[in-house]
Formats: sequence, C-alpha cells, structure tokens
Amino acid sequence: MPRSRLLITGLLMLAIPAAAEDLRQPVPDAHALTNVRIVTAPGEVIDNGSIVVRDGLIEAVGADIAIPPDARVHDYQRGEDADRISVFPGLIEMHFSLEASGEKDEEAETPPGRHRLIQPDRSVNAAHWDDARTGRLREAGFTTVLAAPAEGLLKGQSVLANTGSGGLTRNLLVTGVAQHADWHARADGRMYPNSLMGAVALLRQTLADARWQRQARAIWSRQPNQPRPEWLEGLDSLAPIFDGDMPLVFAARDTLDTLRILDFAADQGLEPIIVGHGQEYQRIDAIARHPARFIIPVNFPSAPDVRDENDRDVGLEVLRHFKAAPDNPRRLIEAGLPVVFTTHELGSPSDIFGQLAKAIERGLDADLALAALTTSPAEWLGVADLAGRIAPGHMANLIVVEGDLFTDSPSISDVWVDGIRYALAALEPPSIDPAGTWALTLTMGQMGDVDAQLIMRGTAQALSGTLVIMGSEVPFSDMRVSGNRVQGRIDASRFGAAGSITFNLEVDGDQARGGGSGPFGDFRARGRRTGDPDQEQG
Amino acid sequence: MRNSLILICLLLTGLSAAADWAPDIESWLSETPPQPTAVIIRSATVWTGSEDGILESADLLIRNGRIAAVGSSLRAPRGALEIDGEGRHVTPGIIDAHSHAAIIGGVNESSHISTAQVRIADVIDADSINIYRQLAGGVTTIFLLHGSANAIGGQSATIKMRWGAEPRDLLLEGAPEGIKFALGENPKQSNWQPDEPRYPQTRHGVAQIIQERFQQARDYQRRIDEMPSGRDGRDRVPPRPDYELAAIAEILSGERDVHAHSYRADEILMLIRLAERFGFVVKTFQHVLEGYKVAPEIAEHGAGGSTFIDWWAFKYEAKDGIGYNPALMHRAGVVTGLHSDNPELARRMNLEAAKAVRYGDVDPHTALKMITAWPADQLGVGDRVGRLREGFDADLVIWNGHPLSVYSRVEQTWVDGRRYFDRETDLARRQALAEERQDLIARVLEANGNSNDNRETQAEQPEQGRTFRSMAHAHLLGYRPWELEHDEYCLFDDHNH
Repeated sequence: MPRSRLLITGLLMLAIPAAAEDLRQPVPDAHALTNVRIVTAPGEVIDNGSIVVRDGLIEAVGADIAIPPDARVHDYQRGEDADRISVFPGLIEMHFSLEASGEKDEEAETPPGRHRLIQPDRSVNAAHWDDARTGRLREAGFTTVLAAPAEGLLKGQSVLANTGSGGLTRNLLVTGVAQHADWHARADGRMYPNSLMGAVALLRQTLADARWQRQARAIWSRQPNQPRPEWLEGLDSLAPIFDGDMPLVFAARDTLDTLRILDFAADQGLEPIIVGHGQEYQRIDAIARHPARFIIPVNFPSAPDVRDENDRDVGLEVLRHFKAAPDNPRRLIEAGLPVVFTTHELGSPSDIFGQLAKAIERGLDADLALAALTTSPAEWLGVADLAGRIAPGHMANLIVVEGDLFTDSPSISDVWVDGIRYALAALEPPSIDPAGTWALTLTMGQMGDVDAQLIMRGTAQALSGTLVIMGSEVPFSDMRVSGNRVQGRIDASRFGAAGSITFNLEVDGDQARGGGSGPFGDFRARGRRTGDPDQEQG
Repeated sequence: MRNSLILICLLLTGLSAAADWAPDIESWLSETPPQPTAVIIRSATVWTGSEDGILESADLLIRNGRIAAVGSSLRAPRGALEIDGEGRHVTPGIIDAHSHAAIIGGVNESSHISTAQVRIADVIDADSINIYRQLAGGVTTIFLLHGSANAIGGQSATIKMRWGAEPRDLLLEGAPEGIKFALGENPKQSNWQPDEPRYPQTRHGVAQIIQERFQQARDYQRRIDEMPSGRDGRDRVPPRPDYELAAIAEILSGERDVHAHSYRADEILMLIRLAERFGFVVKTFQHVLEGYKVAPEIAEHGAGGSTFIDWWAFKYEAKDGIGYNPALMHRAGVVTGLHSDNPELARRMNLEAAKAVRYGDVDPHTALKMITAWPADQLGVGDRVGRLREGFDADLVIWNGHPLSVYSRVEQTWVDGRRYFDRETDLARRQALAEERQDLIARVLEANGNSNDNRETQAEQPEQGRTFRSMAHAHLLGYRPWELEHDEYCLFDDHNH
C-alpha cells in the first residue's frame, strides 16, 4: 500500500505541473492574412483583401483595412498568372458521434427504474473527446462540431465545440445543445426492445413518462399530502425538448424511417432535426409535410460493378439510386426543406468536397452548398454571431485553399481554429513527372513484403493513380505532387476498413521510396518505374 | 412453412449466385392509379360474397371508388370506363386475416411475455414487394399481426394494398383496433433455445399471465377513471401513463379486438372462459387447428375461426389438424376464414378456398366467402369490404375463369375503384424496364470509363436490425433482409407464426 500510494503521489506531482503548463500554451495573438480572396459568407466575396485576427477572433476583414503593426503578416500573394488563394469560413459538422468511454461498466449495473438505452441526462464530456478524429475533421476544413454521445435510443445531450487541439477544455462552446435519438438501438439478446416496433414503443413510453413526471412532481410539491409519485432518473433532462428550448436530433435509416420519425414527432408536437440517409428524394413530397430540419449525408454510391450492357447481376434498384443520389441535396433544397450537410457515411471527411462538386454539377447552387456547411448550421445552433462567416467579432475559424473548395481534392493549405493556424502539408511546385507504371514492394511489419503495381496517369498538376495489389485494382481518391513527392490517398473501405490509407513517395528519376499508413498499420514502400501504362501491353 | 423449406434448401445447397436481386418495380416510383368517376364491368359472372350468391352475366357499376350497383343491364353514366366481362369472373378482393407480409424491423417483440404497447402501425413496410405480388393474386386487404412469441403481443394493423402509398395511407380507415394473443408452445417457449428462460413455461402459466394482465389493466383503468376532472383534479397526482396496460384495458372496454394464435382445443376453451370471466368476446382464434373439436363452443362464444386448410403437423401441438376443419367450423356456425400467414401462399388464396370445396364439400360460393366476406367480418370491416354490394368499397378482382380453378389467374385487381394491378400493363411494362436498365448500365459503364472517377463510397444498403444467418440468400427470393427476419426466426427457433 505505502509503495503504491507513493507512486500515485509521484505521478500526481508530475501531472500537475504538466497540466498547468498545458493550460498556459501560446495565447493566440494577432495575425493578418493578406492578399487573399475572401468568401466572407455564401455569395459574398472580397476579391482581394485582408483578414486581421486577434486573440482568436476576427478583428477586421476587408479590401482596404489597416494591418496593425503588432500583427504577424501571412502574405498569400502569388505570381501574376496564378489564382489568388481563397479564404473560406470554417465549416460546421452537425453529426459527430463520440463513444462514451467506460460505458460498458455502467451497463453492468443499471439501477432500477432506468433502461440502459435511455440516457437523456448523459452529456459528451472531456473523457469522450477524440483529438485524432476532430483533427481529421479539422484537416478537411471543419472547425466546429456538434458532438453527441454515440450509444443508446435516447443517447443524451450534445456539445458544440471547435476542433482545435487541446481537448474539450480549450474548444467547448456550448453544452446541452440538443438531445439525440436513434430507435435502431437494440437491447442485447431477448431483452426489451429487440424489434423496431419495440424501440418505437419504448421511446413513446419514455416521452410520456417524462411529461407525466414533470406534471406529477409539480403537483406533488404544491400539494405533498398525498401519495408521492415515483421518480424516474434522467427524464427531467427531456423538459427543454417539450418547451421547444432544445431540438431533438433523430437518426433515420431510410425513407420510410424518415416518415416514421415525422409521424412520431407530429404526434408528440415536436419539430425534429433528422439525420438523413441520402434517399430522401424517393418520397420528398411526403417528407415535406411536417416541419423538420435535415442533416444530409452526401454518400453518393460509386458506380456499381457491371461487366457489360447485358449484366443482370445488378438490381435496377441499385442502378436507379446510383443515378439519382447526386440529385438528392438539390431536390431537398428545391422542396424548401432546411438542409445542412454532413461528412457522416463518407470514407474520409474531405471526401465531402468531391461529392458536393458532383451535386453542384447536377444543379445544386454552390452558394447554397456552402451555406449548408456554414451559415445554416450556425443559425440552427444559435451561434450565427460567432461562427459560419468571416466577420468582425466572429471566431477566427478559417480555411485557406488554393483554387476551388468544392472540387475532388481541394488544395487546403491551412486551417485556422480560434486564431491558431494549423498548417497542412504545403504544396510545393512539382519538380518531377511521376506518370508511368511503377513496380513497388510494400513492407508491412510482421506481414512481410507484398508486391504491388502503381499506375499513375496525367500530368504532375492533374495526376490520377491506381494501385494493383493482390489481384485487385484500387483507384486513389486523391493524388498530388509536391516538389519531388507524390502524395496519395485510398479510401480504406475498399479493403473493408474505415478511414483512409495514405501514400507518400519520394521520386528520384525512375526510383521511388517512401511509405504510408492506414487502418492496418504503417508500411514502407520502394520500387522503380517500369514503363508507360498507355504504351505497353498488359 | 414452405418459405422455410425453400430457405433450408438454399442453406444446404449453398447457392453461390451473386446476383443482388431486387424487384424491378419500386413502391416509391409507383404512382397512385387514377380513380375513374365511373367504371362498368359488363356481362361477367359476379360472385357477390353476399346472400345474392353468384350472378351470371351481370353488370357491376363503380362510381367514385365505390360499388354503385350490381345487376343486369345497368345503365352507365356517360364517359364511364367500360370493361368487357364476357367469360370473366368478378369476385370481391381477397382479404387475408393473418399476414406479416409488410412489416419492417421484426415481426416479434419477443422480449417480454406481454408487449401490448408495441404497434404494427409504426412499422408498416409500404415498400414491400409483397404488396404488389399479392395484388397480382387478387388480395386487396391484409391484417398485419405481431408474431406469436408472447402471450400478449403487439397491436395489429389492417391495411389495404395501395401499392405506392406511404405507410399511414395504407391503413384501412376506421378499421377496429386489434391485438395479437398467443397460446401454447410459442409463448411458453417450448421450442426456443434455452438461453434465457422466461416465465411462463407451461400452458397454465400462459393462462395465469393473461389473467394477471387483465386484472392489472382493470386496476389501471380504475385509477384513471377515478381521477377527478377539472378543478378537483388539479392538485391530484395523476397515475403514470402505461401504454401496455392502456391497450389491454381497451380490450375490456370493447375498443380493441383480440386475435388469438391457438392450436389446441383445451387452450381455446381456456381463453373463451377467461374472456367471458372478464366480459369480452375473443374476436378470432387464429390457426385454430383443433377448432372442429370445440366448434359449438367457439360459435356460442361468438368468436371467428381463421385457419389453414391443409398445414398441420409442423410441430407437436399441430398434430391434430385436418382438412375438414373449415367446413366443420362453418357448419357449427363459426364465422370461418382461411388465412395465409405467409407472403408466398397469400398470392394464391383462391386455391386454399378451392380446397375447402374438396374437404368437406363446401359449396364454391361459400368457399369464396372464406377468403372474402368472412375474413372481412372477422376484422370488423365487413360493412365496407369483402362483398360486392352497393355502397361497398370497389375492391374487386377480375379473373379470366372460375376463381377456384388452378387454371385461372387474376387479370385485374381494383382497390378503392383504382386499378392497382393489371396483367396487360404489367407485361407491357417489362419492355420499358429493360430499356431503363440498358440506359442505366450505359451510364455506369460511362462512369467507370472515366477512371479518374472518385469511387469513394461503396453503395451499401443500411443494415437493418440484427444480422440473420441466411441473409446472404435474401436476394435470391427477392426479399429484402428484414422481410426474411420473421421466416428465419421461425426456421431457426423452430417457431410458428
């Protein structure tokens, strides 16, 4: 005992100064971003201007503003014929689930009167925070997230926070923003509920219980000389939903599920925010009948695998959805429904730009697309005076991008959160032309060597790539050249995993070496160019 | 059961077909057919389903979705749609009083012995291809029931086969509320994997738990009724709402009908006596294979009998089933119907009726009533559907021959005076579907041709609920996974519906 106590004391002594130092990390000071094209809000553009940032907030923005002498100047001036660097407001992700760690232990002993799936009084806290995942969102330009607990039928309350480093301590904006529900949660085995209708019934009973508790407790405290109503822990947290002070965010699986939620909400007198699925176009008139707002994924399916025009193995249902899915965002907006977009269901958050480019190609207004990631969520979340625009007094949450944002692989060079600059790998002008067929050997730790072929086509400015490995051809979702390096990314779902696999190759003539990482771990790569894919046979 | 056999075959042979098979037509793409102001069917053999019997060379007039007249040489209003009924037979739309064919996310809430609070109406699968396929078999109304895993199951839903409509518009307006009860092997978990035994494990336990719930519901209702209204109630703590007991209390007040899954004569008598003690009438006994043994008692109680014609011996409590059961129950005065309990069988209910002619010598018109008029009465909608009579909904079937013949088939099925199924239209549409497929595949090949194409997100159907062992083969039957859940549940847990 004494020894372990000593150890703990020692650890505490180590920990305290570290934490204190942590809290004293650099205080954001003054910066000026100059010679940039500024999209201050959807449809509002300053062709050449500056942004002054001080203490995490935007101090000034405009074409001819004075740069304060104490500001560190970040000059984005470029060559005569090059496009100006653009600055966009940081994006807002409204659907971000966090596993509540340690939840399993709580499950073991559910106290009487509580259902394990009913946790409306739970809230996202610092222990749930996931710096790695918020970091990936930040790299894709998302500077603010609505983070909700992941588990349960009534999952609990979300917090609004920025995506800077330093955990929730540094980033929290608002607590108790919304209550989150998903009636596809199920109890284990033969516990209640083990069907969808059971889950709906449990939610209906819970809301009735919460309304009753409120009324019964109020009456009893006024008139205590009567049998005391039982007390149902947690349900008091639902009061703001009934008062309209807190939205209920409801996850839908498919079109019929959306309708089921709308009917349920109408019955309860609620106006929900529905996390969608991408098939809303199927019954859009029915969906528009009851007031609701929608968080819509842009999970357009890739082309189904068909061999030729006589292929009968792919269902018409799948083919139709492949065709119609990219129209879904536009159709919803045209139907007058309040819509924001989410990266939910995408392999990687940055995939959202390519997908929105596809939707814009199909007629979605680009300004409305930007609004659905900035001003609209800011308004829904009640922070329109803080986020969603580049305006004095707003948080200095910015995306610096070369060229267009809504394109397959936007060249985001840095993202600012609370006035702190997070530089992404800056692109240098290409010094190599890597097009060709490359024979690579990938070395993956314990697994040993795997031979692969990397085929790159196009120019260094517009490069595409395919990896041929273990008999399958896998396209890169993103590939670019910086200096003498090739950087590429593959959606790991192609290998049945979540996230992305990144490649980084240094090219010297016909030799290449480098490595990468993915959900399966890190690997090294080396190889050489064997030819031109368009010249050789096979 | 037959579905299950197909499944077993699939599992054993392990077919490797990779086709992502799905029906070519989809509910959301199917527009509501127009409702002509007037339709007249001329010179058909009309099976009225009522005391008028079968009318030869009769006319039937529909106006605004309702039957306006049945008779000979009717005058049709100008512009009426004329259908030549020469050589054709017209019957009421078939009513299937026991179906699980359009339920999403599980047919059973099998956790508790009573789940009276769950509602099938919350989980109607308007996209189920079963709706269209059953229209093609002449079915126009089905009764969607909770499964039989518990003594008191969920609240049922009566729907019309309005293919294309959204779930809430499928509900038959004004149909009485219902609830599923189950007796015998299923609620007592005879054939379940013994993972988590649940009370009760015996037939008398089932009787006891049902009785206890009725007592609780009565107490609950009394507390509600005792709440003073208005000013006096303002300072009284109200009873906590309980949707389970509220639904059971509705049975006691006559506002909710009981449809009880049952096989054996003793359990049928048990529920009759229990119901009479609590002052209500069991609306139907479902399956009721031993109904013939206690038919006078069922008739005297006033319950209907909704049964299989020739499914029996699939488990021990079903060993005494006989093909003569419908005939014998009918003769004893029980309102008797034939049901499917199976989306596949439901497409050919006319042949089930034909078997009632073979077993027990029921006359053909009476046999037809077992799949039309009497199921309608059992569901409490017999004043509106199930018969071809003035003022009734224009839910009817046009057959190309005698409706009880194996050589006959459905040419048209009408619901609410709208032609929801038309064989000619269906055949003609196949060309258009083939062209649509070619079009879409050309598009895909074009997209694949652009190898720059980002192929970020593979099209994955959202997973529905639990994963079942044979889901991989769902597509071979043309079912979506959740439609198979129930069949598989029955298959692996050796259940019946």
